[in-house]
Amino acid sequence: MSAVSKRVSNKAGNKNVQAHTQTNSIVHPRYGCMIGAAYSVAAITRGVPIVHCGPGCIDKQYFILCSDNGNQGVGYMGGGAIPSTNIGENDVVFGGAPKLERLIDASLKIMDGDIYVAFSGCSSALVGDDVESITRPYQNSGLPLVYVDAPGFKGNNLIGHELVVNAIIDQFVGPYKGRKKKGLVNLWTEVPYFNTNWRGDLIELKRILEGVGFTVNVLFGIESGGVSEWKSIPKASFNILLSPWVGMDIVRHLEEKYGQPWVHFPSIPIGEESTSAFLREVVEFAGNDKEKAEKFIANEAKQYYYFLEHFADFFSEYWFGLPSRFAVVSDSAYNIAFSIFLADQLGLIPVKHIITDNPPDIYRDKIQELYKHLSEGISSEVEFIEDGYLVEQSLKAADFGSGAPLILGTSWERNIARELGAIFLEVSTPAMEEIVINRSYIGYRGALSLIERIYTPTVNVF
Amino acid sequence: MPKKKKKVNLDLANIAPRELRLGSIISWDGSASDLAELSNYELRSRKRRGCGKSCGPGERGCRLAELDMPFNQQTMCSQSIVACQIGNITDCILIEHSPIGCSSYHPHFDFAYKVGLVRRGKEPKSIQIVSTNLLESDMVFGASDKLRRSIMDAHQRFEPKAIFISMSCSTAIIGEDIGSIAAEMEKKLGLPVVPLFCEGFRSKHWSSGFDISQHGVVRQIVRKTRKKQKDLLNIVALWGTDYFTEMLAPLGLRVNYMIDMASFDELAQASEAAATATFCHTLGSYMATALEEEFGVPQIDAPQPYGISSTDEWLRAVAKAVGKEGEIDGFIENEHKRILPQIKKLKKQLKGVKGFVSTGSSFAHAMIEVLRELGVTVDGSLVFHHDPVYDAGYENQNTLKHLVDNYGDIPYFSVSRTQQYQFYGLLNRVNPDFIIIRHNGVAPLAAKLGIPSFAMGDEHFPLGYDGIVRMGEALVGILARKKFNNVLKRHVELPYTPWWLSQEDPFLIARQPEILENAPLSPCAIAQREYIREGASSR
Repeated sequence: MSAVSKRVSNKAGNKNVQAHTQTNSIVHPRYGCMIGAAYSVAAITRGVPIVHCGPGCIDKQYFILCSDNGNQGVGYMGGGAIPSTNIGENDVVFGGAPKLERLIDASLKIMDGDIYVAFSGCSSALVGDDVESITRPYQNSGLPLVYVDAPGFKGNNLIGHELVVNAIIDQFVGPYKGRKKKGLVNLWTEVPYFNTNWRGDLIELKRILEGVGFTVNVLFGIESGGVSEWKSIPKASFNILLSPWVGMDIVRHLEEKYGQPWVHFPSIPIGEESTSAFLREVVEFAGNDKEKAEKFIANEAKQYYYFLEHFADFFSEYWFGLPSRFAVVSDSAYNIAFSIFLADQLGLIPVKHIITDNPPDIYRDKIQELYKHLSEGISSEVEFIEDGYLVEQSLKAADFGSGAPLILGTSWERNIARELGAIFLEVSTPAMEEIVINRSYIGYRGALSLIERIYTPTVNVF
Repeated sequence: MPKKKKKVNLDLANIAPRELRLGSIISWDGSASDLAELSNYELRSRKRRGCGKSCGPGERGCRLAELDMPFNQQTMCSQSIVACQIGNITDCILIEHSPIGCSSYHPHFDFAYKVGLVRRGKEPKSIQIVSTNLLESDMVFGASDKLRRSIMDAHQRFEPKAIFISMSCSTAIIGEDIGSIAAEMEKKLGLPVVPLFCEGFRSKHWSSGFDISQHGVVRQIVRKTRKKQKDLLNIVALWGTDYFTEMLAPLGLRVNYMIDMASFDELAQASEAAATATFCHTLGSYMATALEEEFGVPQIDAPQPYGISSTDEWLRAVAKAVGKEGEIDGFIENEHKRILPQIKKLKKQLKGVKGFVSTGSSFAHAMIEVLRELGVTVDGSLVFHHDPVYDAGYENQNTLKHLVDNYGDIPYFSVSRTQQYQFYGLLNRVNPDFIIIRHNGVAPLAAKLGIPSFAMGDEHFPLGYDGIVRMGEALVGILARKKFNNVLKRHVELPYTPWWLSQEDPFLIARQPEILENAPLSPCAIAQREYIREGASSR
């Protein structure tokens, strides 16, 4: 009996699936809270978050965003290095403002940073600490200190990401009336740490945009120039938003503040065809030299198909079964990107798309619309679920036919994937059973890595 | 003579945090012998039993002087501890009454739970901790109905044998009455519903979360019975490998591990056990004391079972407690014969090696003992808090004194939560070849200084006779990793200012706050100031 048919025999039946509706309850969380956006600051070269919240708040965010998410760890800043007031009972009773002030003073002397961002969490918000008036004197004296109200009950780390970026733009980058620099663009896409492969993905995105002639402010990660790059945000000729919804508030804000236009691609491109199409569209939007761009694209395409052609031998001749139906359980950005690639470029049949990052209602119809056109003649439905119990129910009820399905998901789908006999890859928060270093699944090069990762388990059966 | 008072009050749902109950501290620096003396364990213990003088201001032994650090980095909280305790009971459900961010530790606890289940020979499965997922409107209008909804969801979806509710900072501040709701739902559902008052701000140290979890279990889950299981020994533990069973096999005892990976029934039978022991009094003392006072389950009267002579004593005390006194002596003798040559060999390999231990307090005391059995030099240690006395207050549980009396002093013995910025100075003072670490946040700094870490994820690893050998053998592997750490050291920077890194005393800014006031600002912050001062006009 082949390994693949063994998987089929393990497949769980669909009976006893109880219908349960979504309530406020959540098991198996898939995002952090607003204060988790401290990690967006930690992702800025020499950025120092300072958090004003209970003990444990920011430690928890480390787990869901960094450690339990590809075991990313932190670099210069983050994890145990983050200054925190660790609000205690006295601060709740008498107010936490003096403690925050003391912490900011000390942080400016002990932590070696280029920019400091103070976050206030649930407790400080509820007891009414006025963080703005604590930070204002530092700002007035010219110190690079920004503040954000980020109580966890106001939203998740994705909303927090938008808030902190806009706060840095307003309070640090500041007004700008100078000229725009042609060819300079700001890239707003995956959320640092939250999107498991953000480090590798930003490298690929910068590489390809530079390839077609742009200078790119990536703003986060190793390819960013840190605060000097942030200061050049207003000089960019336009903003690129590469995400279904996160970042919309940022590009709108920049448009209003600096008069910068923006171009929106809801789906991060994966594979040669969509990556080249993306680049051509950006080049068109910018009015760049098309010839130079085409030369780069042609070279990338040549490489890509060289490798794809080799892979095709395996794909067409493997005797022992390959997955044909798939489900993606992840945040919106990765979900639509992977779904299009699998349906449109590999020819897998979409069965389930579960979006878990709680996009605001105003974006949901537009996101749904994207799934109507995954590929020519391929339309699918998307579900928005945050509760892991209901995610499992939904996957159990799905019709994956008789073969082993492919499930791209999170650590929380590991059990149900095993029950369903699926080929399983952790691609989204939390991804506890992956070690991610510089991995990318997007663009030209990342697509090939993704193919490797998806099909290795199909041969690795003993 | 004053009436003997109970140390644990199970009439109340709430309990006082460690700093109020035990006088625990989170910031101190000196030698281990000084801390042992200042702790005044015996006097405190007498007072807690109600037979000492009253405790008032200026009373010796009432308050252990503590350093007030003006700068702090992230730590853990009691609510997280409750999640990793109660959330790991196999057939009960914990509900976290909080915004979703308070549940962000779950993937980690899930992984530890699965590892723990495998270590105990149980089927691995996922945790199911329910968050009430509170939003801004709930902070304004109250969240009790959401709590009721989540309790019903948990009941219908997971059919638990008991439901626990944990409080968070925000729900405590807005005054959610989880006690009343627990009582109401307990009546409605006909199963124990246990409120746990573990909001993070309530205690300055996360270990209060252990006591809160144990209090809830003893108060509402443990069976009120006179029945006894003579061959059952309670072990208050975390996720450690089941080494206790093999240690206790010669006495024919079964182990009842609590709380992680235990079932409702296993917890309920704790009152029937012959005795209670633990791998670490920092963790286990509250529960052991509660079981002793409430159900007459005695505690093992011996040092913790680490190192040779303490393991001897511990085994003899267990034998005595279960009425098999003397039956273990032959076993002990054979174990010595088996283990001593192995230790001798390891001692040779580890000659001249220096270690640094950084964990919860009484576990740290134990591991230093094991390292010294192996001939490893330990001149420095960081414990994440210090309890000057444990709940039971037995002389044999004064683990710091036991360490100092039997294995000698530790000149640099520091108390501080996981404060990475201090760790630099702490390590530089003693220049160790490796660290032993639990909890996250500080080992990555050691890594960048060229110091490999032994992350003690299996708490039972150093236990007993075999634990000494296991530790020695593992250390050989850890020390080899110095190659990797030296690569890092050569190529990466630390996020601290040159001013801070030039200070020798990790507690300087508490001892001399004026030095911090006069310290220079981060050079880069000053550089940025130029940019900001230029202002918009020039741009």
